Parts: sequence; structure tokens; C-alpha cells
Amino acid sequence: MPRKPKKHSHSLRHRLVTFSPFARSKAMATRNRGATKVIEKPKLQNKDLATSSFNGFKNNGKDKTQQSGSSASSDDEEFEGDVQADFVFFDPKPSDFHGVKVLLQTYLDNLQWDLSGFVDLILGQPTVGTVVKIENDEDDAVYSVVSALNLGRYKDSKCVLELKDYLLKVCRDMDVKGKLKSLVGEHVQDVGLLVSQRVVNLPPQLLPPLYNGLFDEVEWATEDEPTEELQSSFRFKFYLIISKIYKHKSADQNGGTVKNGEETLIYNRPEDEIFFMLSSWSFSFPSHAQQVTANELKNYRPMGLVMVVEASKISSFRKQLHSLIDE
Amino acid sequence: MTTRLQYENNCEIGVFSKLTNAYCLVAIGGSENFYSTFEAELADVIPVVKTSVAGTRIIGRLCAGNKNGLLLPHNTTDQELQHLRNSLPDSVVVQRIEERLSALGNCISCNDHVALAHPDLDKETEELIADVLGVEVFRQTVAGNILVGSYCTFSNRGGLVHPHTSIEDLDELSTLLQVPLVAGTVNRGSDVIAAGLTVNDWTAFCGSDTTATELSVIESVFKLRDAKPSALVDEMRKSLIDTYV
Repeated sequence: MPRKPKKHSHSLRHRLVTFSPFARSKAMATRNRGATKVIEKPKLQNKDLATSSFNGFKNNGKDKTQQSGSSASSDDEEFEGDVQADFVFFDPKPSDFHGVKVLLQTYLDNLQWDLSGFVDLILGQPTVGTVVKIENDEDDAVYSVVSALNLGRYKDSKCVLELKDYLLKVCRDMDVKGKLKSLVGEHVQDVGLLVSQRVVNLPPQLLPPLYNGLFDEVEWATEDEPTEELQSSFRFKFYLIISKIYKHKSADQNGGTVKNGEETLIYNRPEDEIFFMLSSWSFSFPSHAQQVTANELKNYRPMGLVMVVEASKISSFRKQLHSLIDE
Repeated sequence: MTTRLQYENNCEIGVFSKLTNAYCLVAIGGSENFYSTFEAELADVIPVVKTSVAGTRIIGRLCAGNKNGLLLPHNTTDQELQHLRNSLPDSVVVQRIEERLSALGNCISCNDHVALAHPDLDKETEELIADVLGVEVFRQTVAGNILVGSYCTFSNRGGLVHPHTSIEDLDELSTLLQVPLVAGTVNRGSDVIAAGLTVNDWTAFCGSDTTATELSVIESVFKLRDAKPSALVDEMRKSLIDTYV
């Protein structure tokens, strides 16, 4: 595979590529447990094409991984005191149940809901969705999962009903609640729930190919799915995203601004900031799940964030994510 | 009768509870649902006690016990020890032991007559187990795993072990324990049996991910289908043993 000249060796040598002091502290806390052995080497390989059953998809899959393969391999770095990992993207399959379930444990805060059913929905969609694992890992652990589920297609399943009820319950913002109701009511067929969870210290270089892969798969599914109904189920007009943020405790009192130059909002994940800027509307709600709080976060309250992004804004998202990560 | 339940969306209920023929321990925290499921099944027969061990919720993995006694790790607090002594029946000896391997639930698997112990437990600990729990202790491994308390669970009527246990090992263990054993899984293919399942002679609780097949294996090996609380069964057994002689 052709290797492009290393661009970031100096920047990645001692500093972790993160976007906020909080993310840096979290990433360092989990990374420094590593052995003295090897190096971070995110590398893409062909997706497990054996599980995909559409011929058209196979060709597209190969083209996609070849181009992104060469861009990812330019990130080969050598640094000491870190763990080497070759990340591989796979289609979700039923044997990933336990790994994916662990990643989704706090998806709806501390609500007791049909999480197993929800995981089954994700695993039942091998054509749209990706699971990230490490090559030749004995434990076969899942490091990240992304998927897009059409809420209308699964509207009768227990987990989706519980999810809808939960969102309607935690939404305290009255003007937004009306929009939320119509989104999960009449327009539910056009809504894709964008599920994206990963381990805290997953290298951010993986994010552009991960999201590009997902949105490409959604596009291919609109042509490759066996029935017209399934094809149209992937023609999303809106993406619904549930994620977590940290809000400064005094943000609400001072009318949205915070003194000391501290940030009002801290995003757990870099792509959330881009989604938030592109979102049509959003709301946040206080989170009750027990969390470990870093010292830098003592002035912040953990919140859940729900956003809706129009599907037309996705190409802009992809560009912005690419430029953000490749800085 | 087997009940499926969860602890805060987590199906590893054997981590947050400990069930024996004389008492049941349940972790604090989580919703009241967890505690009330146990209460609903057991309240009339045995006490269900909410507790923490060493300030944690993972009580099922830290303590080991049967109807004769309960062993607690060295980091159990005095208040927890007192609370347990007060809440459990007087016939149950509650003892805190000084053992380097403090996750006793992972190291010791027992019923009312026999116990399997981690090969690296201290000699004094082994003697204490025999004393407090009133059992015969065997140092063993299960499918090559030294954490016998995690990979096998057995009651006085049957037992379930790690799915990769060989037939020879199964036979050997079965002879030692004097109960029928089966190799199987719990919680949809998880091989950590004791984390997903907690059982006594007449009832069992398992994680809600457990499939119907796994459930039927559990019900048949532990003979739960028409089981009654063991006080009655023990009476029957005493008279039966008389007639054998």
C-alpha cells in the first residue's frame, strides 16, 4: 500500500490528539496503562465482505477502503510507551452482542429499558453499521459501534417505544418538545437514529473513515436493499443524535455566559460540536448516571444532549470533521 | 422456578447478589426492582438482606457462603459485619477472614456439603472454610481456570460449569461434588456462570439475557421444576438415608 510522507510525527509524539483538557485527561488516564511495547497504528482493512450479501455493495466497499486505506496509513507513527493497535472495521454480526451492549450501557442515562432488544436491532442490520475491533484480538472486544436505525421501521419494537417515551419525558424545553413530538410521530419514517459509541481513548484518526463509511453505506442501501420498502427506509431526511456533554454549573444563572474564560459547554466527542453547529434544533437534560469526574470538571454538570441534523447537512459535516481531525 | 432479572440494565446478577438455602444477600443501590424480585420469591422462606461489602456493590463476588456460614473478605467494614450478624439467622456463622485473595466469591464455590477452592488459597483459609461452612474442601480448577467460584455454580442438587469443561473433568468434578454437572452458558453465551446466575436448592435467578435454551438447561440440572424449599426436602432426605442403612 502506498505510504504518504508522515505529516504529524512531531505533534503526535508527546501530545495526544484531543480537543479539550477534559478529553486529554481522560485519554491519558486510560492510555498510560499500556505496556512499553508498541505503537498506535490505526489502519483500515477491507470490511468483512463475507457478511454482506449484495454484489453491488462489494465493489463499492473495495473502492472505499482502498482510498481511505491510503489516507489512514499515512498516520503510521512510532512513539514509545503506547500500545500498538491495528483497528479493523467489520459489519455488525450477532456474535458482537456482548461487546456492543457494554458500549451502549449508558446510552439512555440510567433508564432501565430493553437494551438487549436495541442491540439486536443494530446487529440485525449488517448493511448499515460498523463495529470496530482490533486485528487478531483473542478477546474479540468491540471498541466502537456506529449505526443508523430508521425509527419508523422499528417503531413497534419495545426498545424504540421506550426510547421515544424517554426522549419525550426528558425534554423540558416546551418549544422543542412540539418539534420532537412531530418528529417521532408523523415524520418517524424519515428519521434515522444515529448511534455512535466508542471507548474513550479510541484514536480520533478513525473518526472520519468511520463516519464516511456509515454515510456511504446509508447511500448504498438506498439502492442495494432487496425491497423498495427497505430502500426507502434509508432515505433519511433527519438524523437524531443522543449524546453527552458537560455544561458549566453557572451557565444557566449568568444568562448563558461564564466568567473566567471557561467554556460553557464541553463536548465528550469532537463530532458532537460539529453536529451541534449544524443541528436544526436540540435540547439538553440533566444526566443522573454515576460518572467519574476529573478535577478539571468539578464546575461542570453532566448533561445529555439530543440534536436533530438534516440529512442535507451531512456532506458539510463530513468535510468539517475531516478538517478538524486532520489538523 | 427460575426468575430472569437485571441490576440497572446489567445482566450479571450473580455479582450483585448471593443466594443460599438459609439467606439471600442483595446489593444496595440500583432500583428497588432488584430487591423486590428477590423478596417476592423468597420473603416467606428466608431473609433477604440488603448490604454492601467493603463499601462496594459486588457482594456476590466478594463473599462465599452456604446455609451454615458466610465468609467475608478482610476489607469488610465493622458496620457491615455487625449488620450481617444481626440480620442473618443465628445458625449462620458470619466470619471475616484474612486472606490475600479477597474476592472470595470468585475463589470459592460451595454448596452445603462440598466446596471447591482456588488452588492458591492459604492453608488457614482452607481450614476456616471447612470449619465455618461445614464442608469438605477440594482445591480444583474448572476448564483450566483457577477462579473456580466464577466458572462454576452448584447447589445440593446439581451444578453448571464452564462450557469448555472436558468430559473427563466433568466426571471428576461430579464425583468430587456428588451432584450431576452439566457444561453450559448463561446470559446468551457468557461463560462466567456464577456472575450470571445465582441458585439454591429450590429457586434460581439469572440475567435477563439468558435464552430459553439456557434456562431449560438450568432448570433441569438444578432440578428446579418441582422444587420445594429445602427444609422440607431435608426432612425427607433424613428418613431416606435411614432406610438405606
